[in-house]
Amino acid sequence: MNEPTTATARLAIDIGGTFTDFMLEDADGALHSYKTLTTHDDYTIAIGAGIDRLIENAGLAPAEIGQVLHATTLGSNTLLERSGARTGLITTSGFRDVLEIRDLRMPRLYDQDWEKPRTLVRRRWRRVVSGRILADGSEMAPLDEDAVRVETEMLRSEGITSIAICLINAYANPAHERRAAEIVRETWPDVHLSLSHELLPEEGEYPRTSTCVINAYVQPVIAHYVARLSEMMRERDISAPLFFMQSNGGLIPAEIAAEQPIHIIESGPAAGVIGASILGGSQGTDTMITLDIGGTTAKAALVENGLPGKATEFQVGGHVLQTERLLTGGGFSLRVPAIDLAEVGAGGGSIVSRDAAGIPQVGPRSAGSDPGPACYGRGGSELTVTDCNLTLGYLNETSIAGGEMTLDREAALAACETQLSGPLGTSPETAAHGVFELSCVTMIQAIRAVTTERGRDPREFSIFAFGGNGPLFAAGIAATLGCRKVIVPPSPGVFSAMGLLCAEIEIHKTRSFRRLLDESALDDLRGIISEMSALAEAEAQRPGGRVSVTARMRYVGQSSDLIVALGAPETLTVDTMRRAFVDEHDGVFKFVAPEDEPIRITALEVAYAIPVGRLDPSRRRMSTPGPASRQRAWFGDAGWCDSPVIERSALTEAEGPCLVVDPDATTLVPPGATARMTATGAIEIDLTDGYGV
Amino acid sequence: MSNSERNEAGPAIADPIAFQLFRHAIIGIANEMALTIFRTAYSGVLKSIMDYSTAICDREGRLAAQGLSLPGHLCSIPIALKATLARMEAAGDRIAEGDVLVMNDPYSGGMHLPDIFTFKPIFVEGEIVAYAAAVCHHTDVGGRVAGSNASDSTEIFQEGIRIPPLKLFRAGQIDTTLMEMLKSNVRIPERLEGDLRGQLAACRLAEIGIQALATRQGTKRFVELIDDMLAYSEILTRAAIAELPDGDVTFTDYIDDDGIDVGTPIPLVCSIRKSGEQLCVDWTGTAPQVKGAINNTFSYTAAASYTAVKTVLADGAPNNDGVFRAIEVIAPSGTIANAVMPAACAARGLTGFRMADCAFGAMARLAPGRVMACGDGGNTNVSIGGWTRDRKPFIFVDFVSAAWGARPWKDGLEGNTTIFANMASYSIETVESENPLVVTANEFVDDTAGAGKFRGGTAMRRDWMLLEDEATLSVRADRQSHRPFGLAGGHDGAPGRNIMVGADGTTRTLVSKFTMAMCKGDVFTHHLPSGGGYGDPLERDPNAVLEDWLDDYVSTETARDVYGIVIADGRIDTEATQARRAELSAA
Repeated sequence: MNEPTTATARLAIDIGGTFTDFMLEDADGALHSYKTLTTHDDYTIAIGAGIDRLIENAGLAPAEIGQVLHATTLGSNTLLERSGARTGLITTSGFRDVLEIRDLRMPRLYDQDWEKPRTLVRRRWRRVVSGRILADGSEMAPLDEDAVRVETEMLRSEGITSIAICLINAYANPAHERRAAEIVRETWPDVHLSLSHELLPEEGEYPRTSTCVINAYVQPVIAHYVARLSEMMRERDISAPLFFMQSNGGLIPAEIAAEQPIHIIESGPAAGVIGASILGGSQGTDTMITLDIGGTTAKAALVENGLPGKATEFQVGGHVLQTERLLTGGGFSLRVPAIDLAEVGAGGGSIVSRDAAGIPQVGPRSAGSDPGPACYGRGGSELTVTDCNLTLGYLNETSIAGGEMTLDREAALAACETQLSGPLGTSPETAAHGVFELSCVTMIQAIRAVTTERGRDPREFSIFAFGGNGPLFAAGIAATLGCRKVIVPPSPGVFSAMGLLCAEIEIHKTRSFRRLLDESALDDLRGIISEMSALAEAEAQRPGGRVSVTARMRYVGQSSDLIVALGAPETLTVDTMRRAFVDEHDGVFKFVAPEDEPIRITALEVAYAIPVGRLDPSRRRMSTPGPASRQRAWFGDAGWCDSPVIERSALTEAEGPCLVVDPDATTLVPPGATARMTATGAIEIDLTDGYGV
Repeated sequence: MSNSERNEAGPAIADPIAFQLFRHAIIGIANEMALTIFRTAYSGVLKSIMDYSTAICDREGRLAAQGLSLPGHLCSIPIALKATLARMEAAGDRIAEGDVLVMNDPYSGGMHLPDIFTFKPIFVEGEIVAYAAAVCHHTDVGGRVAGSNASDSTEIFQEGIRIPPLKLFRAGQIDTTLMEMLKSNVRIPERLEGDLRGQLAACRLAEIGIQALATRQGTKRFVELIDDMLAYSEILTRAAIAELPDGDVTFTDYIDDDGIDVGTPIPLVCSIRKSGEQLCVDWTGTAPQVKGAINNTFSYTAAASYTAVKTVLADGAPNNDGVFRAIEVIAPSGTIANAVMPAACAARGLTGFRMADCAFGAMARLAPGRVMACGDGGNTNVSIGGWTRDRKPFIFVDFVSAAWGARPWKDGLEGNTTIFANMASYSIETVESENPLVVTANEFVDDTAGAGKFRGGTAMRRDWMLLEDEATLSVRADRQSHRPFGLAGGHDGAPGRNIMVGADGTTRTLVSKFTMAMCKGDVFTHHLPSGGGYGDPLERDPNAVLEDWLDDYVSTETARDVYGIVIADGRIDTEATQARRAELSAA
């Protein structure tokens, strides 16, 4: 596919739970943003309206749009709301209940009320056929082809529209799975079909079945959506190629996303992290913790040397947050590469409650945006974090939604007095400040999940904060952790849309590969890598990209793998691979075995990346400055401080305490800290002089 | 023996916000210890089954904060630490900065020999402010059977190396004599050393964190805040206990046998006395200790008791000494609930699981309608080991538990681990790629769930076929003759079953615990029990029966004869159903 040379504008669209955000980069590199309410019944309505508005504002012709980049919650919502296709599963006899058995573990202790998330395929539509491949790829029993026909007919008669096929050990030899697919296709050519060995040729029947079933369940929905979106764009004379953001932070052509939607399930949060890595890097900060705080959750990720931390598997479709990594089982296993994000249920709308012992806590219940915090005046009466921030003077009447909504300070104060400071016998500001501190330590749990739990010391990182509430808490969180620098990007409230403009195409392929690391393995390894690279390149639809290799490796006798980055395939030798493994082992275990200790490889992954035109972050894009004012804000030991309120566009350098405001976010600069504007338009807060909450 | 310490004054927390900030900090440290072990452990037992625990104890050895881990270990750490400190004091061996204490002896406060405890005193300005503690189940600690968990040992001396409370490090220097002794007595010394390294790293991490916290707060305030931690749990626990009815109840259940005296049931007797804000779990009447290796030490009995009580209370109280103050546990010594020398105890897991079920049964008598019926009594332990044709050893050890009893408000779970352990299962494909085995089935057994208004979880089966010429199969299972109990008119769950289908086509039904030879092509099938039901099956929502029938959880016959639901042409025959239900309830 060739992009017309005149069409150089790039349009990013990020659908969130409440808002759909737009960011347009025109041919001159100027940015235009727009925000509108998400239309949940049909996302394309809000998208169409937003495009019309943005094109008009920017004075562009539709044909000038050369690229549309998209992040959507459609995949994760389809799973959460169970609104996917009626799905059937064909699997090996003896393994009907893999989806239900999972790894048997649950995410909660001492809870006799625990309920597993309902499986995406009901037991009646999980059909088994005999035939057995062994772990070495040999055939123990032939596939019962008649049974495949019978079960296909049964599923068709039940109104199934999408079929997943996952047979035991298909990763080692896909012959039975392929043959079963042929048989299904013969009798039922138009059914959606997802095959486990194509989606995830890796050992592990539960993650592979689950991943394959998620694909089957979501695929008809995403395929339909891609068609709708393309049609809507065509109606507007936009012929630009459409790309989706994947959970791994890379872009993927829409046609591939429609076939393999498993890659775009968590696409929104990934875009922000990519944006952070590019923007941070452009001002010399390539190692940071990204912190995205909204109304109900705080999400953290790690960026090291410009690269976001990656996870190989995560859980989707559950209602249990992912902060406590040891207690898995809250959702369905989805084994695709993803940015390693941790999430905790604390944000601006989080409700402040007291337990049976009178101890206050923040979240995980949230007032959301409707009714919202008490100060929204929409019927919410429970005290929230935002009410406390208003009481503390960190927000003012016009801080939310560019002043389109007026916050009720009296209502916030009253909620704080009756629900918290009164019962605790303290002043409202002391209690509200306590809530601010508790919010910080609660949100820090997400940061710990991606730092200390990974053997990293958070004090060595800067904090890159965005989302509606990120800039308000960032300095407090940084001080609590002992971090010294905070970065707040421009347009923090629509930053994920900006992140889309920073992303590259990135396609991942994985494969099981169980071999001792030696010369004989290397030839086979090179062959498999070039095979995987070719597949990835074809999906990217663009040649000439960079290939990098990752392997799972362990010492023989060890019972778990390390994930080892190996770099470009040309550089691979037994020596370089051994050295990369040993370095990683030393980092994790502080221990290295003798030189001749045999090493085993268990799986290979190839990532193929190619840019599609990146945002130039060094261009500073400003709007016009507004009037300056002052407001009273409470800072714990420092008490009430008369604090300047500075429009971001008016900021050059300022001593805390002060507040730097954007239309959709407030950046809190505490006493002792200094804020300054950088060349990229970001705010940088220096905490070196030590501010403690 | 009792572990209760009554607090007459009634606890209170002076500064709730400061306390909450401190609580986050100290629980964060205990959790990070747990994650350190998870990240750095060498063995699969630690990584997949998470058979380990971490904790911060106060300077008197009381549990202050526990890392996320398994309920079966609750309170094992303070009991082991207090016993260790008492031993050190008796020996006149002062504890110095840089020391690390180690022990695994069940008869000096430990659990069973594979569980090795490490304790590190944390000093601030020359004074002990706390202890960091970690306990891990090690893959092998020697003894007569690889894996050190045989159920057919009859005295502790067969089970591996016993480590009394000793110093592994003195003032930062490792005791190489002790370390070499340990390594010489286990089958895989690198793994023992690798896992111990993880334990030490966790304790070191806690030391740094606690020192920073205590220095920031000041030692005096730090100690007060720790006391607040205990007070907090005590307040929450007592408040939840107060809501239960007062009473004095007893529940009796039986273990099939100990595998040595086959066919001799072993009674477990759990009495619960509850008055006001205090609750006592008393195991008086439980069987004397047995010959087989299923004897509990006190801490495991206590953990089983706390599991049932805490689950029913559902108060969210953090696990620490404050919980123990409100819940007293009594277990007479010399019983299977509190064994003395020289009882074997390696496979005491089975008894712990069954005692947790028994304590749930007693709680159900105390607070009917608030407690689930009995689950599969898990877990079953299957070990298959031998030599490959090229004379390499293989050891395959599997633990499986999967069915819950019905809840008084909804069905029991199937395919979910027991509350007492929360253990993960291996991937079958990984089992097959690493062992000379084919797992020919791993699924639910249709039509097995204990019937009720709410049904129990369906039973699960797992089948293993041997690909090598010969191996030794060792199984520890239960509930073949004493089935998982139903409640309030719900039916009991189906019994467990062990079946050997030989390569020659013969089929043999086997007892619950045994060791035997297995040959190439033999298939060993284990059916776990299913969960018990809750309430009268005739009160079950007919549509729920139909849904179960559509999913093959219930057969046409069971629907008709147990639930009184007549299904024809895939639909409920309303008239026939009314008649059938009337007929059954009259019977």
